[in-house]
Amino acid sequence: MATLTSDATQPLLAATGVRKVYRTGTVEVTALRDLDLTVLPGELVGVMGPSGSGKTTLLNCLSGLDDIDAGRVEVDGRDLFAMSDGERTEHRARAMGFVFQAFNLIPVFSAAENVELPLLLTGTAPREARARAVAMLERVGLGHRTTHRPSELSGGEQQRVTIARALVARPAVVWADEPTGNLDSTMAAQVMDLLHTLNRDEGQTIVLVTHDEAIGARLPRVIRMRDGRLVSDTRQPELQAAG
Amino acid sequence: MYPNLLLPLLGVLGAALLTLLLVAVRKPVVRRLALRQVARRRTEAALVVTGSVLGTAIIVGALVVGDTLNFSVRQEAYRTLGPVDERIVSTDPAAGRAIADRLQPLAADPDVDGVLTAEVAQAAAVNTHAAQPVAEPRVLAWQLDFDAAARFGAAGGPSGLAGPTPPPGQVVLNEPLARSLKTGVGRPVTLYLNGHAADFTVARVVPQQGLAGVGIGGRVNRNAFLPPGTLDAAGAGSTHAVTLVSNRGGVEAGERLTGPVTAGIRSALGPDAGRAAVDTPKHTVLAQADATGDALGALFLMIGSFSIIAGALLLVNIFVMLAEERKTQLGMLRAVGLKRAHLVGSFSIEGALYALAAALPGVAIGIAVGWGVAVAAAQIFRSWSVDGSGLDIAFAVTPTSLVNGAALGLVIALAAIAATSARISRFNVIAAVRDLPVESGRRPRRRLVAVCTALSLLCALAAVPALARSQAEQTYLLPALAVAFAVPAASRVMPRRAATSIAAALVLVWTLAASVIRPRVFDTPSMAVYVILGTLAAFSAVVLVSENQHAVLRPLRRLMNRPTQQGLATRLAAAYPLAKRFRTGSTMVMYTLIVLVLVLLTEISGIMNASIDQAAADATAGYTLRVDYNPQTAGPNPLTDLRTGQLARRIEAVAPLLQARGQATDPGHRTAEPLETAVVGVPDGATSGIAFRDRLPGLPDDKAVWNALATHPDYVVLDNFFGHTGGPSGKFYAPGDTLTLTDPVTGRAEPKTIAGVLTSGLAFYPGTGSSATVYPLVLGEQAVRTQFGPQAQTAAALVRTAPGTSPEDLAGRLQASHLSASMVATPIAADVHRLFAANTAFFRLMQGFLALGLLIGITGLGVVMVRAVRERRRTIGVLRALGCQAGTVERSFLWESGLVALEGTLLGAALGVLTTWLMYQKSSAFTGLDGGFPVEWAQIAVLAVLTLAASLLAAAGPARRAARIRPALAVRVSD
Repeated sequence: MATLTSDATQPLLAATGVRKVYRTGTVEVTALRDLDLTVLPGELVGVMGPSGSGKTTLLNCLSGLDDIDAGRVEVDGRDLFAMSDGERTEHRARAMGFVFQAFNLIPVFSAAENVELPLLLTGTAPREARARAVAMLERVGLGHRTTHRPSELSGGEQQRVTIARALVARPAVVWADEPTGNLDSTMAAQVMDLLHTLNRDEGQTIVLVTHDEAIGARLPRVIRMRDGRLVSDTRQPELQAAG
Repeated sequence: MYPNLLLPLLGVLGAALLTLLLVAVRKPVVRRLALRQVARRRTEAALVVTGSVLGTAIIVGALVVGDTLNFSVRQEAYRTLGPVDERIVSTDPAAGRAIADRLQPLAADPDVDGVLTAEVAQAAAVNTHAAQPVAEPRVLAWQLDFDAAARFGAAGGPSGLAGPTPPPGQVVLNEPLARSLKTGVGRPVTLYLNGHAADFTVARVVPQQGLAGVGIGGRVNRNAFLPPGTLDAAGAGSTHAVTLVSNRGGVEAGERLTGPVTAGIRSALGPDAGRAAVDTPKHTVLAQADATGDALGALFLMIGSFSIIAGALLLVNIFVMLAEERKTQLGMLRAVGLKRAHLVGSFSIEGALYALAAALPGVAIGIAVGWGVAVAAAQIFRSWSVDGSGLDIAFAVTPTSLVNGAALGLVIALAAIAATSARISRFNVIAAVRDLPVESGRRPRRRLVAVCTALSLLCALAAVPALARSQAEQTYLLPALAVAFAVPAASRVMPRRAATSIAAALVLVWTLAASVIRPRVFDTPSMAVYVILGTLAAFSAVVLVSENQHAVLRPLRRLMNRPTQQGLATRLAAAYPLAKRFRTGSTMVMYTLIVLVLVLLTEISGIMNASIDQAAADATAGYTLRVDYNPQTAGPNPLTDLRTGQLARRIEAVAPLLQARGQATDPGHRTAEPLETAVVGVPDGATSGIAFRDRLPGLPDDKAVWNALATHPDYVVLDNFFGHTGGPSGKFYAPGDTLTLTDPVTGRAEPKTIAGVLTSGLAFYPGTGSSATVYPLVLGEQAVRTQFGPQAQTAAALVRTAPGTSPEDLAGRLQASHLSASMVATPIAADVHRLFAANTAFFRLMQGFLALGLLIGITGLGVVMVRAVRERRRTIGVLRALGCQAGTVERSFLWESGLVALEGTLLGAALGVLTTWLMYQKSSAFTGLDGGFPVEWAQIAVLAVLTLAASLLAAAGPARRAARIRPALAVRVSD
């Protein structure tokens, strides 16, 4: 796996004193308050907390999708916010994958075209990119749906395409924001099984935001947030192996 | 030519607005929904209003152009006629007094408020006291009773010639003559009366109004008014007695009494009726004003209609996008009980508010556009005239046109919005609520198939007689509709895209081939056929391209597959046009439609420019000058002097033209009114080099036609513009068709057969003093003498200059040496060049007017891009999250706009060239333009580059906004 960190004991991601404030007119809302967090390679971390606690903001800030007001986020020793927007964008393309609650596939691209997108963005030859995209779709059980557009797929299928897209470039970390939020229980279970399998078998680092306690109960590490603060960080090492 | 639709338009508009008002009052939810939507997206609201404003401005602009031209021609009635409603000219000077005496009792007629008899002679004038001597060969010398002239028609307003009678040796000049001679009050001037020079002093200069501008048929009259006895002293040989009659009422009100007063005049003339010609000049000028205003107004409305269609498409496009954006909320509204009709009502109220907001600014901008066109037209018309007496353009706007334009703009906008609303309100409620995609590939419902198939059959059946009769609009429209209505049925047996593509291809082929199969399809004065042709060609081609974008964009595949940011930008740029075919197509068609017509106009200008030399050659047949002179002046015969005088060595040949005034029936049967005709008698063999475009069967070559003319008095030849009143000329008559030619003085009428249609009849048009609507009719010399008797006079000649002689130089010398005969020498080739240059300028003017439509297209693209950024926020967020650079997002939007604009422009350019080529091959409007078909690559390239640049500029703002979208927010966007 082409992760950025080869040493499993060194943090893949280290956030120190991260602060994020949303401003709407004269109103200021502090979404993250001096938050510290480290994630090791191969971890499957759940971020839980009540609505408005800052889960998604944390994910956005740690992945570099959003700016921060204070603190530092290091990825493999590199300060994410010391990079220019272009460098950070390129870094995202090489090191990160995303799974969103609303799937967020490109509606005018087919499943294979959506999946190969991160590969093409990082300079993979088109033929190879397509082969790897199709292989990844087969792995998530969608080998027969490669030419279908998102509008022609069910919700579960769309989320599996999203997972395939997140994983195809073998990123260091996959950020998943409520990946089962839009799925029924059967579909949700299938998607979570897939994420567990990828984490267990391939050591894929995954940071997953969820409010579902049942899902949290199966995660080897769960951090809990409230009012923009990290209030607990629980590890269940036995689940890391069991999945 | 465009009907006055004010009342029906106001009726439809009133009914529509009343319905919407009722809905708004009775359904508070619908009203609230519409009002809130307007307030919610102000930028989009402003863009919709902009689109409507442009549409209304184009309509109002076209109508204002019509008003201005109508008013300008009408001013001619005030300028050159004033109180004069009827004019009785005696050709026999001896009969003049008798005729005047017979007409005097008319003064007691309650419908008449003035009878004035004057003597008029064609004259020339010289001002030898200017820095350089100035000569004017086109002068009318009037001898009249100044007191009677001042009283003439005074009840209806000033006669135009007030003031005391000038003492002997003094003359009153009107402004055009004083201007031409560069002279003024108290200055000496020499008049050539009946060939003799006489010196006068200018007593006063009067404005060219009423009697001071009066003439005997010309548009601008250079008048010298002399005290009684002056012409008599100069010899009566060249004078005509003219009796002018003023009807009761003002300048225009008097014209309504023309019928009864003319009948009274004929009755009063009694047995002398055969020795006088009775004209109704004001009736003719006012009718001409209406015809000219209508024809040119219709021309601009036709050109503007392409822009209006683009404006309607813009509204359709915007509302389809609004509906897509609001899909979820619309679904929810339907789910909680809002009826489909209420949704239509809500959208319609919203659209009506936009359209109403656009009406006033649209009218204001339309007036400005009309003014701009009028200013440019004034310049063009000035250079269009034969003798420098072009129409003076006076800007005018009528309330009718403003209300008409605003109402038409509103009705078109409301119709587009209502039809779109009805279409977009049909959706699956659950799919809309859950934001699921529209079920694609569903076969059309049986009922729809049945109705459409029936309509298809009906159109096909109706097309058969239309095609057989070459009915212009129906020939294009009915087969196209038959094919379009067949699409639902075809979609049940083949994929919808295939059915649509085949239908579009068939319509396109038919649109291009119809004129080949039915060559007479352009033989119509109506310009609607050109609108239908352009619209069908543009729509069918765009549908074909939109439905097959995969194939069209295949050459870009290598670029799209590149694993680079550039490759991704290209892929994204192509992805939406591939996926959103309706939206892309309706934007593209705006470009195609406008560029098609712009290129068509460019190509027509190119064809004309390429044909100038050939047209000049056709018009002259080797003759370089046309000379017109007064044959009745004393002194040497100008014709003899041309052949044997001082300048004879500069002249190779002279062909005298016998001339008479005639009236003819229209061989094309377009009007029952007699056509004013300049009858020309040509000597045998003199003009046999002038070419014909069509000859009577049995006459093998051009020479045979001229021979037939010389030997058969029943034969006439004419050009393609006989009876033409504006708009594109068609082929309304052919050799073998007949007309009746009448001498208006004697009433002698003879049937004539057309032996040939001239390629160019320019050499036979009167060179001086005639109004625009006098058509030449050429006969053998003897035939003219026989029918017209003493009225026929040799008053013109075609002159072939000797090698090495400049026609312009010789023209100047001839005019100077024959000033006493009022000779006007016109270099024919220079005249052809001037006319062509004026025509080209007119095409430029139309292109400028049409460019407003391009502005609509570009605005449309800007609107689509603004909405696209909003609609794709989430996608942009995901792309940015996945590693797509901000610059790539910006480029993808720019390239997408560029792609749509480029496809639309190229398609329009190709269709424009092709359509013009087919018209050039088949339409008789291009007769005489034999210089070949040039493709104006440079101008088309400039047009394409400018269009593309403007489109990229319009998309630059939205593209930059797209690039600035923050991914963290965008991926969570729900609306």
